[in-house]
Amino acid sequence: MSVIDAVPVTDSEPTEDYVNLGVFGRLTHRRGWLSQHLGTAVIGFVLGYLLGHWLGNVVAGGYSYVQNSGQNNVADTGGLLLGVLGWLFGAGALNYPIAKMMGREPAEERFDPSWTRYFRYTADHKVVGLQYIFSVLTFLFTGGLLAMAIRTELLSPTSHAFGPGTYIAIVSEHGTVMMMMATSIVVGPFGNWLVPLMIGARRTAFPRVEAFSFWTFTAGYLVIMSALFYGGFPTGWTGYAPLQTQAGAGMMSYLVGFAVIGMGMMAAGFNLAVTIVTCRAPGLTWGRLPIFVWSVLATAALLTLATPTLVAGGFLGILDRTAQTAFYVNEHGGSSYLWQNLFWFFGHPEVYIMALPGFGIVAEMLPVFTRKPLFAYKVAAAGMLGVALLSFFVWQHHLFQSGINPDMRPLFMLTTELISIPTGFIYLVGLGTLYKAKIRFEIPMLFALALFFNFLIGGVTGVFLSDVPVNVQVHGSFFVLAHFHYTIMGGLVFAFFGGIYYWFPKMTGKMMNKTLGKIHFWMMFIFFNLTFFPMFIIGLLGQPRRVFEYAQNLQTLNDIASVSAFFLGASFVVFVANFVWSIFINPVAAPPNPWDSLGLEWQTPSPVPYYNFERIPVIMADPYHYSEPNAPQLADLGVGSDRTDEKVEVGK
Amino acid sequence: MTATARRHEVMTSTPEEAEYELRQSINSYWTGGRLLVGMFTFFVASLAFTYFYLRSSNSGGLWRPAHVTAPTGTGAAIFAFSAVAALLAVVGYRRFQSGGVQDWKVAGWTAVMALVIAMGLQIYQLTQLPFYPGSSGYASTFIAWAVTNVFLLICLLYWMETLLAQSMRLRSALPVGETVADSASPRAQKFRGNLESCTFFFQFAAIVAVLFWALIYLI
Repeated sequence: MSVIDAVPVTDSEPTEDYVNLGVFGRLTHRRGWLSQHLGTAVIGFVLGYLLGHWLGNVVAGGYSYVQNSGQNNVADTGGLLLGVLGWLFGAGALNYPIAKMMGREPAEERFDPSWTRYFRYTADHKVVGLQYIFSVLTFLFTGGLLAMAIRTELLSPTSHAFGPGTYIAIVSEHGTVMMMMATSIVVGPFGNWLVPLMIGARRTAFPRVEAFSFWTFTAGYLVIMSALFYGGFPTGWTGYAPLQTQAGAGMMSYLVGFAVIGMGMMAAGFNLAVTIVTCRAPGLTWGRLPIFVWSVLATAALLTLATPTLVAGGFLGILDRTAQTAFYVNEHGGSSYLWQNLFWFFGHPEVYIMALPGFGIVAEMLPVFTRKPLFAYKVAAAGMLGVALLSFFVWQHHLFQSGINPDMRPLFMLTTELISIPTGFIYLVGLGTLYKAKIRFEIPMLFALALFFNFLIGGVTGVFLSDVPVNVQVHGSFFVLAHFHYTIMGGLVFAFFGGIYYWFPKMTGKMMNKTLGKIHFWMMFIFFNLTFFPMFIIGLLGQPRRVFEYAQNLQTLNDIASVSAFFLGASFVVFVANFVWSIFINPVAAPPNPWDSLGLEWQTPSPVPYYNFERIPVIMADPYHYSEPNAPQLADLGVGSDRTDEKVEVGK
Repeated sequence: MTATARRHEVMTSTPEEAEYELRQSINSYWTGGRLLVGMFTFFVASLAFTYFYLRSSNSGGLWRPAHVTAPTGTGAAIFAFSAVAALLAVVGYRRFQSGGVQDWKVAGWTAVMALVIAMGLQIYQLTQLPFYPGSSGYASTFIAWAVTNVFLLICLLYWMETLLAQSMRLRSALPVGETVADSASPRAQKFRGNLESCTFFFQFAAIVAVLFWALIYLI
């Protein structure tokens, strides 16, 4: 029985309550190139940067320390911050907040069929999701090109493509761009695009916050890339003090960039967490929530609560370099270890911000391609929440070698080892689902299986690293580097591509080319392992990270890694070719539900209507009753005034 | 695009659906307000951690040499105005709940004025410091708190001001005889949800102000 009875449909046109936004309304309601869009955002960024830089010079240009050092961090910071503000203003993100000060409410956003909507500030979660996909791919490929540069340099232990300063700047930029990208690679695109559809909502709880998160995320990209124009920064992605305080102007891009992206991450997490808690369709109890949504909820909680610590750490760093405070300066009453604590209090939950959504994607796909119910659903959800909770209690293992009372090491060794238990839950769920299954080896499933293989290696080496004696031996070596590439790239990035292949037909109404997809997968899988597995050995043999010269006897292994990395990079070219081919050159219309999934997102028409569901669906079961003869009805979609005319049958 | 999809370009709702989505919207304000407090808690907790970390480390004996303190009179005034603003927000909201919309507006605008004064004093205090920002751990922590406090006050100011401005426009939009405190209009109901969260956030800000006043000036 539906909780919403069949009644005549009434239009919910914006009526008495809504007024336009005055001058801002005229800006936002223009169509096409006359409205605010990416182009005006870029103009806003440039103008804001110039204004901020000029103001910074006016304010601090006369200070003796500026004149003595020839470096005005106030001007650089002012330029970057006002640049971000200009970007947001140019995009239209500030129209509503300003109009709200005059008590105005926004007019309801109308569907815009023009392709220009993909370049504008919009509250449509599906457009924001696609905007995110292109942005994270831009991040990924930028970071990937920098990785190619690193591996080029490491082809030879003695002949150099770059100087040491340039090399460390490339390494730092690569690490930072990739980590920033990885925090949003699933939550941004898939979280925004899919969560409302999966929970039967017509939009997210705060659509403007969702759009704000995207435009802040992209502003952060510009800021972090601006470091290249300042000569880069030498700290790696971790930004350790005291090097942080001593570095050149590029360090400001790192600090401001991380703070700006942090704001975007918090906004995204906040909106998705509230959406999942409050906007679920009738009948969608916690026990029926799709497992991907559980993973996004756990991730959103981490994004919302852990990221403020990063922003605070960056804020203190900015104050050190502009207001001349001494938070990270030991000689003036500060402590360089303070940064390590603040950074890793965010940094370790961040690892799970990156891992959990990947697990969610894979757990969502496994039942579809095995035609079996998800094994131990509650264990999977509990595992994700357990990982999220425990991740707040492990950050000190990054300080085993520095800044920690040695007596505290066993405690954090224990908490770190403990976290492998809920992670193991998720493996248990995967294996239980795969057990005795007739697996359909479609491309998304290949990526899902690859995740289990890769993450196992990354996870087991993580347990080694959590043990103090091993940690002391391999700290700062290529072993650590190989470990986290196996977890982040081998886990998350594989899941991301699996997710793209899986949901691409829903998002675009087109199928991706299978042959190119398989070439992409096998190239990526083989060369990923050939690139990073040798790095475990290289690390155990003593090669440190971030150093551009190494022992002669390690050249063969380094060359294997480098050549494989080039092929790994080529696999992404295959993906891009497939993407372009499938969308523009030879589009093949996708069937409504190509994988025969029971997920609610697949029950909507394709392309998905602007408001997702004509009637709010009523959920009657979880979406994992595959191959069950007496499976319950999944949902009542209630299309039209008679709610009984379209029901989703499960168990087929 | 299919005919079905075209039909969806304008959202249509049954009355039950409209009610259901209105409930969701109001609940979102409630949940969002609490989550926002969680987010700010982690931020200010980071500053509190910084305070205690540097205090206990006392690098080079430079946590707080000669026990320098930021101007205490100004500090007390900033705290007092912040606390008064929070008190007015809470008392005003209670009056609002019992139908006293006008009382809430008076309390709200007074709270806005108190916040503006607190912010002005905080900025003034930054220009009158008896120490250099990088002279000690305490000095650095004070600067971070002062800047954070300005940001926090701006957030409070913005939230309360937008609600007050909205309530003025709502007055003319509501049917004669109804007020924003008792109207069944969806916009009025959302307004009440928003106001409840705003008041909750004011209470949180008051707790933060008390804690940091004690850390900076008392301990």
